[in-house]
Order: sequence, then C-alpha cells, then structure tokens
Amino acid sequence: MKILVFIKQVADTEARILIKSDKKSLEIENKYNMNFFDEFAVEEAIKIKEKSKETTVAVCTYGPKRAVEALRTAIAMGVDQAFLLENNNLNGDDPLITAKILAGFAKQEGFDFILCGRQAIDDESSNIGVMVAEFLGIPHVSSIMKLDIIDEKKALVESEIEGGRETIEVQLPALFTVQKGMNEPRVPLITGVMKAMKANIPFIDPYSLGLTREMIDTCAAKTNVLCYEAPQERPPVRIIEGNTPEEKVKGLITILKEEAKVL
Amino acid sequence: MDFQLTEEQSFFKKTVADTIDKIVAPRSQEIDEKDEFPWELWKEFAKLGYLGLRYPEEIGGLNADKIMSMTFYEELARGSVGFAQSVIMNSLMGTYFIYRFGSDAIKERCLYPAIKGEKIATICFTEDQSGSDLGATRTLAVQDGEGWRINGTKMWITNGPICDFCTVLATTDPSKGLKGLNFFLVEKGTPGFSSGQIIHKLGCRGTVTGELVFDNVWVPYENLLGEEPGKGVFYVGDILDEVRLMTGSMALGIATGAYREALEFARKRVAFGQPIGNYQLIREKFADMDTIMNAARLMIYYGSWLLENNMDCRIVAAEAKMYATETCLKVVDELTRIYGANAFAYEYKSQRYFRDARFLLYGGGTHEVLKDFIGKAIIGKL
Repeated sequence: MKILVFIKQVADTEARILIKSDKKSLEIENKYNMNFFDEFAVEEAIKIKEKSKETTVAVCTYGPKRAVEALRTAIAMGVDQAFLLENNNLNGDDPLITAKILAGFAKQEGFDFILCGRQAIDDESSNIGVMVAEFLGIPHVSSIMKLDIIDEKKALVESEIEGGRETIEVQLPALFTVQKGMNEPRVPLITGVMKAMKANIPFIDPYSLGLTREMIDTCAAKTNVLCYEAPQERPPVRIIEGNTPEEKVKGLITILKEEAKVL
Repeated sequence: MDFQLTEEQSFFKKTVADTIDKIVAPRSQEIDEKDEFPWELWKEFAKLGYLGLRYPEEIGGLNADKIMSMTFYEELARGSVGFAQSVIMNSLMGTYFIYRFGSDAIKERCLYPAIKGEKIATICFTEDQSGSDLGATRTLAVQDGEGWRINGTKMWITNGPICDFCTVLATTDPSKGLKGLNFFLVEKGTPGFSSGQIIHKLGCRGTVTGELVFDNVWVPYENLLGEEPGKGVFYVGDILDEVRLMTGSMALGIATGAYREALEFARKRVAFGQPIGNYQLIREKFADMDTIMNAARLMIYYGSWLLENNMDCRIVAAEAKMYATETCLKVVDELTRIYGANAFAYEYKSQRYFRDARFLLYGGGTHEVLKDFIGKAIIGKL
C-alpha cells in the first residue's frame, strides 16, 4: 500500500512576523516548522506503515528550498521518501495553484490514499486537501479523528462534526484531512534524525508534472492578497502588584470592577 | 572560510532543540523544585538514542561530529541543566574510558547498557583535598593477588549515589604525583563500594551529586582502564579538551535560555507607559549580551572544529570554556536586572538560570587554573 502525505512548512508560532511597508508582504523571522496539523497526518501514515511491511509512505511539499527541512523532519519521524515541489518563480500562496501542483504530483507518483493536515496554521485556507481530491476525482473526508484501513479498497473513518463524530466507509483511493488530536506525533529517534540528515530529497519542477503555464502561473491564481493588517494590539500586560496573594486578588478584583467593568 | 553550519548540522540542531522543547524543558521547573532524579524522563529520553551520540555506530552510537555533540550539550543545558548533567555524564565522561580501554566483557556489562540509558555511569576525580590538583589524589590502588585493592573517598560525583558503575581515578604510587594516576572501573555491588553523603546544591538540581566511598574494594586486573599503570594523567589529557568545550557549550545553552527569557520580558514588561525594551539602557544590555554570546559561540565552534580535525586545541578549548562561562554569568546577571524584583522570586525562571550557571565556574577547570595553564602554554618554559 502506498500512502502519500502532503505537508507544508510554516512559520514557527513564536516567529516574529512584521507587515512590510507595502502592506502586501510579510517579513518573517527565520524560524519554520512542519505545519502543526500535518504532523498528525505524518504520524498516522507511519503508524499504518508500522502495521504492514508492504506499506510505504512518501511525503511531499510545494514550497521554497527551505521547506526541505520540514521534509527531513518527516523522514526523521519515519517516512520512506520525501519530495520538494519547488515553487521557484511560481505563486507559492494561492491555494488553487498549490492544489493543482500537488494533484499533478499525486497523479504521477501514484497512491492508495492521501493524508494531509486539516489546515495550515498560517493562512488557514483549509481547502487545499479538498481541492486536490476534486482534481484527482477521488472521495475525501475532512477532519478525521480515526482511520482504519480495512483492505486495499476500503477504509473506515471517523470525522469530527458539530456535536459529535461521523463514521464513514470510504472507497479507496481517497484523501483524508486530519484533525489535531488524532494521535500523538512522535519525537524522532536519533537514528531517524541521522537518516534524515543524509537523505537525498529530489527537487521537482512543477512543470514536469504535465502542468501548463496557464494552469499554475500567477495568472491562474484565484486569490490576490490586497493587504495585510495587524490584529488590534492587545493592551500591555499588567502585573498585579501586592505583597501577598490576598492583596493581589483584591487588586485584581478592583481592576475588573472599576477599569475593565466586567464584574 | 565557511562559517555556516552544514545543512545536516543545521537540521540536527533544530531537531534537537525541538525535542528538548517538547520533552525536557516543560519539566525543568519541576526537576529543579523537587531536586529528585527524573527517572521517567530519563527512560523516555534514553529511548530516543542520544546517549550514544559521540560513539561509533558499530557499538550502537551515532558517530556524531564534534559540532553536533556540542550542539546537543548546548540544547540539553538550555532545557534543564540538572537533567543535562546526568545525560552528559553518561554520554561522555562516565563512559569514555570504558570505551577506550574496557575489555569486551566490560563493554558488554557497562558501556552498551549505559549508552542505552539502562545503566547510570559516572567518573570520580574530586576528593576533599584535590579538585584541580589531581596530583594530590589520595585514593590508593594497591596490587592484591590478581587485582587491585582500592581505598579512598570521592566527592562531588555527578550521578554518584545512583550510579551502576564508575571510573575512579586512583594513585598506584603517591610518590610519583600525576604520573602515579590511573583509572579503574568499579561496579555497583562490589563489596566495600558505597555511596556516602548526598550534596544538596545551589543549582543543577535534579542531578544527584554526592560522595562515593571505596573501602577495601577489590577489582580484577582487567578493571585497570589503561595500557599499564601510571598513564592515567595522559589519558585525562585526551578527553580534557572535549570536556572543556562541552562545558562551554552548556554555558552557551544556559545563556541562550536566559537571553530569550530576558528578550520576552523586555518586549512585554511596561514601565512609564511603554515596554522597557524601548529604553536605551535595556537595549544596551541586549547589544552587549548578543555580542559576547556570538563571540562565545564562535570560540566553541572553532575549538570543536580543531578537535574534530585532530588539531591541537588545548589553548582554544580552555579559552572557549572560560569565555563562554563568563559570558553566561554576565547574561544570567543581566536577566535578573531586566526582571527587576521579580528575579528575586522562586516563581520566575530567572533565578534558576542564575543558580544553575554557577557550576560552570568549577566544571572543566576553575578559571584561575585555566588562566595559569593558558599563560604557561603561551609563554612557554623559561
């Protein structure tokens, strides 16, 4: 069985992000990680692989060269292969273009099913996995919390819905987007880290996937960033003064009553 | 001259840092407060395989280069100094002479389980009257039948009270001073070998440090870790540079942790209507800290590069240890100034960095001894 996992490299949640003066681009501190939700997808794929010797896991990302680091993290966790679909001179932000490129790769590479995180924590568009499924003409289920592979043709999934969970039997091949909490992503063993350090990760030109300029060049983008605005600045942290916990609590209650007016 | 870490080294550093942030750092406060050896964390961490980092793959290690090893020590110390001390003892000093000189049987019993975390290792140098002055070692080993009989007491032994085996420095000929020194393996359960007083420390809490007592301890000939008696001091030289760079790396890790705390606080703490990070004198502190930390890092990397390439690094390793330690002490001091009165409270992390950093003055050589060594090496014999 061949499992394909899509991941994205995103800015670390603690990276400093500033809006540039043109308000259309960002200056991001050089700290990146694998997207939080994708970690669960990678972990789930590896868990399935560990149950069956014939199962392989390949991971890919569409992104800049630095995204290789996220791929190495996936290898360190235990995937077999990794591929970088390089967004050299291509639009790296539009979800539709990204979905076309990922679908193009999936078609070429082949798969039994695809896993990816439910959303990326930077743009939170939450639609790439679903669009890829549509381009590939395969069923998809979003926000899955449980996945049982019955056989090569069938899977049983539980997905999160409002107020509970839905159990669905799905014909394979299919695509599943993974919700947080599905599993506990493993901390890589040092042997995995060493393997990842030495791994050869091919860089693939998206145009080699049978995609045309009209399909994936910037003109094909359906979204256009008009501007970025910073969220409203939160008021500065105020440390409640007091020599004892009782004094501090009294001070806090006073502030909540008289200044915040919530009591 | 390429000052960049290779892509492999960068990835390693990031992965180790992430691992420490996930499983060690969140428990650092608890480890410090309870001052008990964190057995659960030890088992969890040992499973990841880092304890064998510097040893060859053939024996279950990872053949890591020196930059990677130093990066590992740095990130560990950034996460929890108390935990780091025990891990590094198992990964380096506590197992090195077993690896170099132990018989196959000794390696099976001690080295391989230690680098899997199944056994706890330590090394015993210090006595109540001899720390830097190894020539004053009084622990005596005398030939007795087909082995050696050892008597003495060692102090300030990291992992000592919980160790499964130790490498003990003992003299076979006190009249020869340094040239009478040797290393012996003593295992837990050997009659006469026991743990004495536990030392309750100002910092590096969580690591168990104490006395080890050798009361007529008999060990067979094969437990002499060395080619022949009297070569111990030369073997110490083999590992001393690495230990000094390791200590410097730990200093860098503590400094980095403290620096980040200070930066976060300076950005958030408001005084007179604005974050204190806007004030010049606070900015000056960060300028100074960043400068000396960068310098310390370059010295550590340079020393590691020399060591990796089998080049003489005695002076650079000693200088790097000293400079990184003084840098760390400066940074943790500034952290407590930036924190203001909060630094005086146990509930804030700043006090832990301040306490933990002090041990750096002693590990790997006091700076008074190191300066004398460096000066003598530079000026030469007159």
